[in-house]
Amino acid sequence: MTGFNANIVVGFLLLAPLTAGWLSLLINGSRWLHVINLISIGTLIGAEGFIARAVFSQGSVTAFADIVYVDALSSVILFIIGTVGLACSLYMRSYMDEQVARGVIAPKRLSLFFFLFHMFLLAMVLATVANSLGVQWVAIEGTTLATTFLIAFWRRRESLEAGWKYLILCSVGISLALFGVVLMYYSSLRVLGDVSSALNITQLQQVASQLDPHILKLAFVFLFVGYGTKVGLVPMHSWLPDAYTEAPAPVAAMLAGVLETVAVYAILRCRGIADQALSSDFTGGLLALFGLISFALAAFFILLQHNYKRLFAYSSIEHMGLAMVGFGVGGPLGTFGGLFHLINHAFAKSLAFFAAGNIHRRFRTVEIDQVRGLIAVLPWSALALLISGLALTALPPFALFASEMQIITALSSSGLPGEWSEPVTRLPVVLLLFCSVVAFAGFLYRITGMVWGPAPNDVAHGERWSMGHIPIILLGAVLAGFCFALPASLRRLIEMASTLLLSR
Amino acid sequence: MPWLTPHIATQIVDFSSAMLLLTCFGIVAQRRLSACVDLFALQSLFLAMTAALVAFLTGTPHIYIAAALTVVVKVIVIPRVLKGVIERLNVTRELVMKINVPASLLICGALVMIAFFITQPIIPFGHLLTRDSLAIALAIVLIGFFTMISRQKAVTQLIAFLVMENGLFLGATAATYGMPLIVELGVFFDVLVAALIAGIYTNRLQDAFDSVDTSRLTKLKE
Repeated sequence: MTGFNANIVVGFLLLAPLTAGWLSLLINGSRWLHVINLISIGTLIGAEGFIARAVFSQGSVTAFADIVYVDALSSVILFIIGTVGLACSLYMRSYMDEQVARGVIAPKRLSLFFFLFHMFLLAMVLATVANSLGVQWVAIEGTTLATTFLIAFWRRRESLEAGWKYLILCSVGISLALFGVVLMYYSSLRVLGDVSSALNITQLQQVASQLDPHILKLAFVFLFVGYGTKVGLVPMHSWLPDAYTEAPAPVAAMLAGVLETVAVYAILRCRGIADQALSSDFTGGLLALFGLISFALAAFFILLQHNYKRLFAYSSIEHMGLAMVGFGVGGPLGTFGGLFHLINHAFAKSLAFFAAGNIHRRFRTVEIDQVRGLIAVLPWSALALLISGLALTALPPFALFASEMQIITALSSSGLPGEWSEPVTRLPVVLLLFCSVVAFAGFLYRITGMVWGPAPNDVAHGERWSMGHIPIILLGAVLAGFCFALPASLRRLIEMASTLLLSR
Repeated sequence: MPWLTPHIATQIVDFSSAMLLLTCFGIVAQRRLSACVDLFALQSLFLAMTAALVAFLTGTPHIYIAAALTVVVKVIVIPRVLKGVIERLNVTRELVMKINVPASLLICGALVMIAFFITQPIIPFGHLLTRDSLAIALAIVLIGFFTMISRQKAVTQLIAFLVMENGLFLGATAATYGMPLIVELGVFFDVLVAALIAGIYTNRLQDAFDSVDTSRLTKLKE
């Protein structure tokens, strides 16, 4: 392709958050911090667009002497990082400024916030474009380190507790993943010999079928448990509700929308390699089983919540579980549904956390019982909450309905993969449908209670228009629109990515 | 060196990996926090020795770099940081334990057996020199994991995390004669930053809770 230099474009992709992060440390004054932030995100999205175009024409892009490798799957993830990142940046303008004005944080700490935010972005982009599984691991551990202080940013007791829990649980989980990476390297060295590229995805994919199945099985289990902790799959999820509740709303949106997706991406990458040596029933069975457990347990935990941010957190676990079921069952429909579900969930969940952030700022409480009459107090946020709530319960006309239907159809037509399918063919589908009804009822009951009813008198009414409303409206429109018409280029990208995941 | 037959070389590497495992048991049995830090530093020294031995015996120079980094980061810098934290916090002992020392040691013994059992099918594929070290590495990872669950002081949990990391590093050295250099540097960076961040956290936890006892972190419950 003429006029496309992979090194330059990828350089922009990585340098934008890096330079913006360090610049933020030097700058005081929120206006410039936001300007730099938006420029950085804009550059990121522009670079992503160029890369996606190259992926369309060439199938994949490599840069910096094979250190960077981008194909359709990573492009889908980059797309999610870019769009949710942009939405968060727009939302942060009013959100962070209000926190400063109110005296919750000192103006100086705003620089630190943006520094950490950009390092978080950088780590996620690096994890997505890294060719080497080792570098990918380093970047994912990097996301843990960058976000732990973002979660504990308010420095209350609860937030410190949540941040510590997150740091320890995720670091330990991800250490197990490193053992998996070591084992992967161990197996590939026996085939490739002593070369420094033996951890590269491009190399591993070529020789994957010759790798030793015993080692790969062990490696995949460790990788799955490690990155599964980051995804928040049951039973490694206990950090997740605390972290989402305590984190500032834009950070929670990034954690729920993007970080989980990146962790899923890491699992899918490893699976693509493991599948060629093992039967895909093993990896698929593992994914689908843990996905199903997460989905079912989270659905019941949704019923118990009296804190709306925790409600959203459990809904995240639920939807990630569902996407995992999609990937685990596989087939063109399940894989496409899984990827599409990741995108929709990222949009719906960030919308939900934006609404939650607005509500929290006005009502000063996260208790569902104390929030009443939102439609009168904050009409726009009430609308956002309703839309995200309806979308997250997978009602039509929202895109999550489409992707959830695809996954359920895939499951009911082919059943759970491997040895799990034989004795109980219909049970998983019944369980899935039953739990989604449970989640639907619990979720809508809570949300409608918040939206309607008499508004408390001690809360100011009315909502002033701010920059933070732009992403809310855009995300709502996109969620409704994607159900009817998926843009052709995005559809093609997802289709290419699912073909990649299926080819073995 | 004529006396250095492959058999003897294997024995030496096995011996120094076994010393790592031994220090692990020391950490599990030790209640005094500063002694735990010393034991961790000692373990890291053994790790560096093992890595240097493997580098020397196999003639892979880039493991020397990793060994040197281990000495700098894990024997000197991190123990100093931890000592500073302990001094500031004025806590010297782990008083309350969920599982007492003898029971912990028994459980760790069982973990070692499990580690050997898990790695049994894949050990024959390994390099002759270091193949038993892979089982020891997994044992260290599991013991670190267990210590993390069973102890309550933030500092001990941090040491347990670092012990896990040591086990992983031993695994990488043993199984594959070290990871690619870029990965190893990245891992060192992550570990160092994680240790520093955890150090800052213990200070903040102390300020907010007047304690680094993580069992007091109970504000967030269902």
